[in-house]
Amino acid sequence: MLRRVAVAGSSMEPALRDGDWLLALPLRRSPRVGEVVLARDPRAPERLLLKRVAAVGDGRCTLLGDRPEASTDSRQFGPVALGDVVAWAVFRYAPLGRLGKLRDRD
Amino acid sequence: MLLTRLLKPSLVAYAHCDLPCGVYDPDQARVEAESVYKTLEKYHASTDEHFKARAIQVKEERAELAKHHIDVLWSDYFKPEHVQKYPEITDLCWKAAKQCSKVKQSLDINEAKTLLDLIDKIGDVWTKAGGPTATRMAKQMARA
Repeated sequence: MLRRVAVAGSSMEPALRDGDWLLALPLRRSPRVGEVVLARDPRAPERLLLKRVAAVGDGRCTLLGDRPEASTDSRQFGPVALGDVVAWAVFRYAPLGRLGKLRDRD
Repeated sequence: MLLTRLLKPSLVAYAHCDLPCGVYDPDQARVEAESVYKTLEKYHASTDEHFKARAIQVKEERAELAKHHIDVLWSDYFKPEHVQKYPEITDLCWKAAKQCSKVKQSLDINEAKTLLDLIDKIGDVWTKAGGPTATRMAKQMARA
């Protein structure tokens, strides 16, 4: 099921900005490197993180923000279990001026 | 209105940074280190034993606060990217924290001066790393 997600924080700039509205799809496969995903925060599972997949392997993946100097990510909390990567951010539907598909990065 | 309500996201995802407030400034440590310095000046100028005892206590408290602020900069503000770019920061923070302990033990004003110099060097790195714009709020301009 498609979920509507609001972005909070600025660690994914310039790709995603604080307040952007996104559509996310449940992830039933392994995440791929370069994708923007929603994952449960390993330190607070009720909270969802929005980060980019930097590496995948052995049941876990490394998640990083696009702006390392303004991001708390796998560098601090370590790799995230693939089972905790719950969705895949695919499309921005607001603001309308930046409407569009989200691009992967290598 | 209705449309907005229908479109409104049902989830929030955090592309965040853990920093509780994100405000960091080596001047916080510097103010405490200045207090240490001035307190030592007054200590040496005084002959009042009671005053001198109080001065020692104040100096030690302030040195501990300076150490805390340096530790916060080191553990919360400076990131691996900063260390890569300014490798000297590791040694500077380490030395400055140790200098705070030295200042606590000593009545030598030169130790307090050394602490100020180390904090200023940390401040230089913080400035080069873009700290003033990244971590501080601009003061409101005076109205004409």
